Amino acid sequence: MTQLSLKNLQQQMMNYLLEDDMTIAGEITQQGNITNQVRLHIYQNAYNQRLKEVIDNDHQMLGLYLGDNLFDQMVTGYIKAFPSGCRSLRHYADQLPEFLKVHPPFNDYPIISELAQFERLLLTAFDAADTTRLTINDLQQMPDLDWPELVLRFHPSVQIAYFSWNSVESWQALKAEKSPDEAANKENIWLVWRNRQRLTEFRSLDSEELSLINMVLKGENFSSLCDFLLSRAGDNDVSHLALSYLSTWIEQGIIRA
Amino acid sequence: MAHKEHPEIRGHMPSFSSNKSTPPEHFLGFGLGLRTDHFQEVLDTRPKLDWFEVVSENFMVDGGKPKHYLHAVREHYPMVMHGVSLSIGSTDPLNMDYLRQLKSLTNELQPEWLSDHLCWTGSDHTNSHDLLPLPYNEEALNHVVDRIKKVQDFLGRQILLENVSSYVTYKNSEMSEWQFFNEIAKAADCHILLDINNIYVSARNHGFKAEDYLQGIDTDRVRQFHLAGHSDYGDYVIDTHDHPVADPVWDLYHQALKRFGWISTMIERDDNIPALDELLAEVKKARLIANDVLVKA
Repeated sequence: MTQLSLKNLQQQMMNYLLEDDMTIAGEITQQGNITNQVRLHIYQNAYNQRLKEVIDNDHQMLGLYLGDNLFDQMVTGYIKAFPSGCRSLRHYADQLPEFLKVHPPFNDYPIISELAQFERLLLTAFDAADTTRLTINDLQQMPDLDWPELVLRFHPSVQIAYFSWNSVESWQALKAEKSPDEAANKENIWLVWRNRQRLTEFRSLDSEELSLINMVLKGENFSSLCDFLLSRAGDNDVSHLALSYLSTWIEQGIIRA
Repeated sequence: MAHKEHPEIRGHMPSFSSNKSTPPEHFLGFGLGLRTDHFQEVLDTRPKLDWFEVVSENFMVDGGKPKHYLHAVREHYPMVMHGVSLSIGSTDPLNMDYLRQLKSLTNELQPEWLSDHLCWTGSDHTNSHDLLPLPYNEEALNHVVDRIKKVQDFLGRQILLENVSSYVTYKNSEMSEWQFFNEIAKAADCHILLDINNIYVSARNHGFKAEDYLQGIDTDRVRQFHLAGHSDYGDYVIDTHDHPVADPVWDLYHQALKRFGWISTMIERDDNIPALDELLAEVKKARLIANDVLVKA
């Protein structure tokens, strides 16, 4: 009898785990009182359970928002739609916001995808690269002539999130073990980052600060930031305002050295 | 790196008259798998442990708390690295990105050694995230040996491979798991990490004698023992690593010590993580059993 090649055997096993294709059962030796179906099911159960635990751990508030039944429906659907191609389980649920955006019944409630997106951003901030952060002392030692040309760079954990629903407020309510408000349509923008104590933080951004942050991201210098503020503030003291933004950013640890 | 002294053991060792009573150079003592739940407590209390094992993949991240704590703990303890993604038996090509990350972490941590499992975890670039068993035949043997050699060449060091718990035996297996394991270790010149619990679990599931497994493994390749818990369902046993070490596994550890002598031993708890003290008590128990078997006897 020709032996099943290692490659074919592995493909059959994966077909069982992913598609419930029982072909592999014919390649398993019958031993003791346990059927081959039971033996294989131990692996399939472990596969599904492991992926479910990952989604559960990564998306705890989303789980609370959905409730057990919908959460299980989401997990089953996601595991089916996205067999893991990643080495690390840390990134297994990266496509979950996308999945929720397009798959019924979740796509009827866009806040659900936004909640998932917010939780993924928190994870990204949690283990983004480390780097030295700019301090007030660094700025104090900078020659006056260098100020106009100063180009700021954000800490690697910094992310901007654009939401169209009250997703973050709902997340906060669930975290505080309160019922979230009804889903409400509202444009809102959030800054997410990891602070100096390695804790993940987030706060909302108004349009002025968002514009400044986008200018920094484009590599524009401090002088350009001041010009932008001047165009909005008229005769007010924009250098004071610019320094106020800068010192807040430094204090919050979002600027790298 | 110099090995740590083990005062508790040495205090009970009046003379080293035989090979079994003298810990070999590679003996690190008694350790524990480092888990995130215990990071802060380990740093605050510096428990009396000889070494920690860390799961390599948990620290293949860019930065943040995991890496911070890893390096903080590393300053105080020897470490070994334990991976779950090498997939040494897969018919997919070796994942060079993974190996590069592994090498980089190895350079960062300077571990005493690094290990993974004698298994495969996926094929056609799909990951089961499970430690799946291989058929024990010539084709698999040659395939795995070739890949271990490539991995060891790339990393510039020998690796340890661990036996996994299994629930199926393939019809095209031609030899016992321990014969397969021995042949691989010898041909690839790698070392062996014996998970005593996994031997017990597989023995129950496949109906072989765990003692035969222990007696069948060559003594000169074994460098580390894992001790862990499982879930017993009567007809079969599932390796959950989420319970305390069970009595039959402690008994098997006793026998393993008799055969292999001083082997670096650790408690591996992967889920349902208890208070640190509970795990330290299990480490202490392992230490006492080793003293009983290898010193007092």
